[in-house]
Amino acid sequence: MDVFYSALEQVFRPDVLLIILGSSIYGIVIGAIPGLTATMGTALLVPITFFMDPIPAIGAIVSATTMAIFAGDIPGALLRIPGTPASAAYTDEAYQMREKGLVELALGTNVICSMIGGLVGVLVLVLAAPQIAEFSLMFSSYEYFWLAVLGLSCAIMVSRGSAIKSTLSLTIGLMLSMIGIDVVMGIKRFTFGDTELVGGISIIPTLIGMFAITEILRKIGELRELPPVPPVHVSRMMSGVGSSIWKYKGGITRSSLLGTMIGALPGAGADIAAWVSYAVSKKFSKTPEKYGTGHIEGIVSASSANNAALSGAYVPTLVFGIPGDTITAILIGVLLMKGITPGPMVFVMDAGLVNAIFMVFVLANIIMVPIGIGAVLMSRHVLGIPQAILFPIILLFCVIGAYAANNTLFDVWVMLVVGLVAYVLEENDFPLAPMILALILGPLIEENFMKSMIKADGNLLDFFSRPVSGTLGVVTLAIWAVLIVMSLRNRHRKQTADIPA
Amino acid sequence: MKINDALFGIVFVIVASAILITVQSFPTLPDQPYGPATFPTIIAIIMLLGGIALCISGYRERAHQPLIQIAAIMKTRDGLVRMASVPVFMVLYILLSKPVGFPIVVPVLLAAFLTITTRKWLLSVVIAVATTAALWLFFVDFLMVSLPLGILTKVIY
Repeated sequence: MDVFYSALEQVFRPDVLLIILGSSIYGIVIGAIPGLTATMGTALLVPITFFMDPIPAIGAIVSATTMAIFAGDIPGALLRIPGTPASAAYTDEAYQMREKGLVELALGTNVICSMIGGLVGVLVLVLAAPQIAEFSLMFSSYEYFWLAVLGLSCAIMVSRGSAIKSTLSLTIGLMLSMIGIDVVMGIKRFTFGDTELVGGISIIPTLIGMFAITEILRKIGELRELPPVPPVHVSRMMSGVGSSIWKYKGGITRSSLLGTMIGALPGAGADIAAWVSYAVSKKFSKTPEKYGTGHIEGIVSASSANNAALSGAYVPTLVFGIPGDTITAILIGVLLMKGITPGPMVFVMDAGLVNAIFMVFVLANIIMVPIGIGAVLMSRHVLGIPQAILFPIILLFCVIGAYAANNTLFDVWVMLVVGLVAYVLEENDFPLAPMILALILGPLIEENFMKSMIKADGNLLDFFSRPVSGTLGVVTLAIWAVLIVMSLRNRHRKQTADIPA
Repeated sequence: MKINDALFGIVFVIVASAILITVQSFPTLPDQPYGPATFPTIIAIIMLLGGIALCISGYRERAHQPLIQIAAIMKTRDGLVRMASVPVFMVLYILLSKPVGFPIVVPVLLAAFLTITTRKWLLSVVIAVATTAALWLFFVDFLMVSLPLGILTKVIY
């Protein structure tokens, strides 16, 4: 109980609450403006969290992303343009509701379902994470090695596009993580004689380059002004919401749990959770023919799933230090900078921190409702910000952000190079999620791999000698087998299709 | 900007080979064959194999995939100028912010960039000055980041 009160004390401080409120508003704006994603919003927050204590820093990221994922629904329903990729699954459905004059009902349902999904995700996190952490206290380097490799393998499996490109993206991340002092003997690796690189490649400029500069480059070429936003009435936002939610309560529960599980898979985030839940709910629906015509059932399911995924991603993040999505990959980077290494020991040594994170989640999901309703009412102003003004200012913010953490212009070069390379890679269907996951997990994988190799004296069979490590190892190898078979089959199918009849 | 897979493949093969050559000079642990080179070697081999696979698929697809295909937006003058402004802005900031100073360089750079995107120079200047002031207050006075004063150092101190 003491731990609970101490967590309460850490969260319910005026400065922390103010940061949560400020980040929530920031998250709403980022999420509502098409082109700015929740991951980009998080990357832009990192330089500021650098100057905060751990709890407010995590609070800022959690509340900003919770809001951003909901806020993505606003332009989706009003303008048929999803604010973030996580809302794309049901943008058409929500827009069809607007055509029927039910836009307020769609948005009201979005905000309440987002809250329910988020809270279910937190509940799973609160119940499961400490249990798994306790179990994993007996893990050795073998288990950690396999867990991290399993995480990266999942990231390849769930990413859209070819497995080869995902794997190559992963190897880039791993190679970047090896720059600097090595974990085995402490020698300098791949520093090209540059003193700035001895400490490794800085995480803040890399993140901003990967997620913000790429986005600016993609959007600035084709600047577009958004169409005018229709008026929204708050009174209509809440009437009928309760009955719709009650009617599809089963679907909400299923989607929230499914979303949490998908979120917990490394590499799969809120957008995949929304697509899968939408498809699953259509499959189980009594009226699947209504999907695509402005039917609330799909919206109810998918909008609870994407917020649930956000919380679900924190399960592997907090328990093993293995990020569940790109946002938690950034969060791990932030925690490491603050001297906290996520893992089961945090649950033992710093239970206050863990409980405070849980509390921040609950708080962020609850305040999402009033702030979300406010945002819908203000949507005309938020969506009215011209992109021609927005993107140059964001770029300036990126430059200062990259510079601020270490006060060095070298980091701005890092951001520029990473941004340009990541832009070209993404334009050619190389997914970025495996790269960022690998960058964060690289040192963990290498350290545990080398420890295991030295312990086993090079005998690879020892990697399978313990029950848990053996199971994890077999599962990982099975995933690789599936990946190889799938890519060979795809190639075969392509070749058969190419042969003219 | 679409680039044929084979070109990517060649780059990956070159990078992987360079890594494999570099790690040859790394030491190993006493009486053990492993050391700082072990992990990079494994990753470089995976990268090499992936690169070769891309070369093959890119070569097979050469009929449908040109070597380099510039995106439609980059072919329009305005689109290209706006996109090129992003790296140019960053490079100029890196080169000029220390010697000249943030409070002088940033409003000029930002106003120029905003003029390119909005085509309204007066509005751009006003926004650039206001944004610089706001960011200065936030980062320097609130977060205590020391942004370079450049030539203003002598004026102020």
